Amino acid sequence: MKVIAVTACPSGVAHTYMAAEALEKAAKQEGIEIKVETQGSIGIENELTQEDIMSADVVILTKDMGIKNEERFKGKTIVRVGVSDAIKKAPALMKKIKAHIESKK
Amino acid sequence: MNSIINKKLIKLNINGNSKKEIIVELAKLIDEQGRLNSIDEYIEEVLKREELSTTGIGFGVAIPHGKTNAVKVPTVAFGRIKDGVEWQSLDGEPVHIVFLLAVPEKAASNAHLKILAALSRKLMDENFREELLTVNSQEKLIETLETIFANALD
Repeated sequence: MKVIAVTACPSGVAHTYMAAEALEKAAKQEGIEIKVETQGSIGIENELTQEDIMSADVVILTKDMGIKNEERFKGKTIVRVGVSDAIKKAPALMKKIKAHIESKK
Repeated sequence: MNSIINKKLIKLNINGNSKKEIIVELAKLIDEQGRLNSIDEYIEEVLKREELSTTGIGFGVAIPHGKTNAVKVPTVAFGRIKDGVEWQSLDGEPVHIVFLLAVPEKAASNAHLKILAALSRKLMDENFREELLTVNSQEKLIETLETIFANALD
């Protein structure tokens, strides 16, 4: 089971990284493999590869501002969340995603 | 590189009855260190950012920030509010810990941005937050923060 995510926020200073950290922590808790790309003021870090995208069951995108290169995820199951919700509700979100993936297998 | 935080940018017991008062108090610390071109413009930018959406991320922590030409040197100021202050936080709880971030519109290097990113990530760690609530000297806090910042630049 693998989840990938891209986080971004208006100033790209703090929330982008908090959300990334929260999602990574929550995924580990659920035993889900995760890779999070951050699109912040530093630029793109931990960029998702084509292989990452192909092998992912679900893609989480924050929706506070446009995600760069979003067309990469065409055809994937995409979950859009506010960056604040990603920070605050990551554990619940990850549980839901896990249940969704399991129900499809 | 100018250190992003120093003892004079830390207030372990800050007073203020509102989010705005706290932001102004901490901005004054940054201004006193000669790190702003214009404190008024900086505060305006921070408040504008707050209006967009609260920076009270929950867990009793807020990270108000302003990225503007009014900032000369990337800076973090830390304030702890014993009784807490209302911040329209995501979880509705009062805020006890505030990191006020000041970032120039065009940063000279990524180093400071990396430091802020590392700090943001670290705030998701419950043990770290507990340490912020209980730390009783500015020296100790600086030490903790510098370890995080040094790791960020590896």
